[in-house]
Amino acid sequence: MEEVDKILILALKQVGTELSEEVGSVKDFTSELIVEAVVRCIRVIDPGLGSPLPTSLPPGMSARFRVGMSLAQACQDIGYKGEIGYQTFLYSSETEIRSLLMFLVEKLPRENAEASDQPTGKSAILQRAIAAAIKAQLVEPWLPPNCRLPLHGETQSLGVMHSFHKQPLSLPYCIKDPGKKSLKEVKDYQRDFLPPVTAQLAHNATVAASLLEQHTAELSVAQEWYNEWNSQGLLSRLTPQDYRARKLTRLRKRIEEQLRSAALPPTESAFGGLGATSDLSDILQSFRGSAASAHTLTKGSHFTHSQKFTFTQETEAVPSPARRTDDNHHSQQEELASLQQQFQQLCSDVDQLTTELKHLSVTNAQVLDEFKQRERQNNELEEKIQLKKKTVDLLPDAENNIVKLQALVEASAQRVVNLASQWEKHRAPLIDEHRRLKEICSNQDMESSKKLSEIKVLHDKIRVSTEEAKKKEEIHKQLVTELESLPKDVSRAAYTQRILEIVSNIKKQKEEITKILSDTKQLQKEINGLTGKLDRTFAVTDELVFKDAKKDESVRKSYKYLAALHENCNQLIQTIEDTGTILREIRDLEEQIDTENSNKTVANLEKILEDYKAIRQENSALAAKVREG
Amino acid sequence: MAPPSLKMELSDSVQRGLRSLGDESVVDHATFPALVDVCFRSLLSAGRDAGLLEEPELKQVEGVLLKRIHAATTTFILEAVRQNADESTISSCLEDLSFSSERIEILYSCYQKHKKELERLLASIGKQPAHITDVSWRLQYHVKNGVVDKVNEPFYLISLNTENKGSPEDITFTCTMEQLQDMVGKLKDAAKSAEKASQM
Repeated sequence: MEEVDKILILALKQVGTELSEEVGSVKDFTSELIVEAVVRCIRVIDPGLGSPLPTSLPPGMSARFRVGMSLAQACQDIGYKGEIGYQTFLYSSETEIRSLLMFLVEKLPRENAEASDQPTGKSAILQRAIAAAIKAQLVEPWLPPNCRLPLHGETQSLGVMHSFHKQPLSLPYCIKDPGKKSLKEVKDYQRDFLPPVTAQLAHNATVAASLLEQHTAELSVAQEWYNEWNSQGLLSRLTPQDYRARKLTRLRKRIEEQLRSAALPPTESAFGGLGATSDLSDILQSFRGSAASAHTLTKGSHFTHSQKFTFTQETEAVPSPARRTDDNHHSQQEELASLQQQFQQLCSDVDQLTTELKHLSVTNAQVLDEFKQRERQNNELEEKIQLKKKTVDLLPDAENNIVKLQALVEASAQRVVNLASQWEKHRAPLIDEHRRLKEICSNQDMESSKKLSEIKVLHDKIRVSTEEAKKKEEIHKQLVTELESLPKDVSRAAYTQRILEIVSNIKKQKEEITKILSDTKQLQKEINGLTGKLDRTFAVTDELVFKDAKKDESVRKSYKYLAALHENCNQLIQTIEDTGTILREIRDLEEQIDTENSNKTVANLEKILEDYKAIRQENSALAAKVREG
Repeated sequence: MAPPSLKMELSDSVQRGLRSLGDESVVDHATFPALVDVCFRSLLSAGRDAGLLEEPELKQVEGVLLKRIHAATTTFILEAVRQNADESTISSCLEDLSFSSERIEILYSCYQKHKKELERLLASIGKQPAHITDVSWRLQYHVKNGVVDKVNEPFYLISLNTENKGSPEDITFTCTMEQLQDMVGKLKDAAKSAEKASQM
């Protein structure tokens, strides 16, 4: 029974009953505890049925009675077949309560089994956590702002919110290339003047946002680089630095091309509004314009001076102020017109000059080219002249010289042949070596590509295994949390072992019972045999004696005795059997007495008496109230 | 509470900084607790004290390195709080960066001490709609107007008392009966779905 009680108490604790450590078995349950346990079980089994039931007994006796009645009704509604009534709860007996609790615990829904069947995974856990958080927040009552403590910050509306505002931070670890030495000044600045990151911004929410943002950016850059390197970088067979440099130059080239193509046709884009290209041409124009204006300032200064001089003279001659302003206006306009004209002229001059300049530069280049060509021709001619000079020098002693020359020619031919044979000699091994090296090269190429593919495979494997490891770690974590959430005092193995023990015990007992049964059967058989024998012997004796009895008086007497003996023996057997049944009955009754004793009948009766008194008191009090009222 | 994240990802620079923090030859025994404490405090009181790293206990570490460690540690702390990292996550992460168990213990105890405040700090980043705290209403009767002589419709004048960023604010509007019913139905729906979400 102890095992059963332990399991029951554990289950009740899971349901939410507050059981103290001292309660070790169903025997120790008080009425209050029983009521609470039963109500909690009913609430779990059928929330609709259990919610109106109170978890504790009310103080009034009649109210207690009603609670007991409704509880009994609820238990019957759930399907409890045993005997149940208000007395089960108020005047409890151990066996009844045990059977009731066993029934209820069996009826409890198997939450744990369902929970382990649920799809497991990160998202499920997260959703459960979200649900728990929402639940907690729903339970929390709203507090007016004045009553709020800082610890309510999570559930009540937060005081002041800051929007996610990120600002760049200057971090002291900008040594991207370990080989590149950072400047001494930069180091000095970082050591002496750069404030720590948290002191760089004014508000700590901004600091947190910026730090997180920075970190995420770094992480994503690393991730992107890793992906790109694995997909493309490895195939290019370059070191990471080279790969980066190549990418950089490619990008630069592309940008340059874009810029150039945008800058070339400015006339086309002039209609296209304010694109990047037109901006560029604007800038060029503005450069030209400023140059032109500078030109006018220096060139036309004399003219403007003289004009100003004449105009001022004129205005001085006129006294009326109104007139003067009019004149002024007029003169200014005139001046403006003349200046504009002049400006235009100058502009056209400049244009002309620039085209001329261009033309001249082109001709200059042409002339330079021609000059170079001429020089080359000149050199050739000089060489020719020298050759001719030498031949002319040789002419006076022609025959001798011819012989000499022929010898020379022959010698050189010999030398050429010599050299050719030497060259051949050298060439063969060189070609061989070249072939060999080529072969080696191709071999290495093949090997490297093989290795590359191996590396790729390895990379894939690494990725797969890291993913697997991550997954497994996740599962492990989850299982650990599940294990933690499971009740610790249930030792499954111990239970199974005990169950097995019990089963083996039962087997043993069964064997013994069958043994005893067979023994009994044998006895019965023997008894039957004996009775049969007895009957038969008696019948034979009876017949024999009866036959003789007709002839002899003394034998008749003995026959009478025989009959009497037989009857008496029968009576004796009957009596013995009766004694057996009575003994059995006595044992039954004793057992009954024991059970009654264990039901605390006396105590319960006393309690009932007390409760009866209490009810009477309540009734009389109520009656008195009624009378007063 | 929320499930523990499985692995914190840290960028190279942060890892380098943390490695120096865990290195006994860079940060010695006496300096370590002070440095960790400064990192936590600086996050909570940022922008006020530019000289926080100039305390006498931290003089032993070289200036640039100290700033580097500080930046890395604060980032690590924020990431940990953001992911609601538990002890096993933090310790496994720091073990990978060759921290001794004693140092992990110190850092974790500090983390637990300041976690709530840091959570509040992170939670305060963002936007929140106004919180309805109370409502008052008035039933009015529209008898007629300049166009129609007999309108005879009831309408409600509703005033929602809301609270935003700790200061009260009123939202006032009128609605007809149907509109009010519609609104009440929607509010009920919202409450119901919130409840449903809590019973996963």
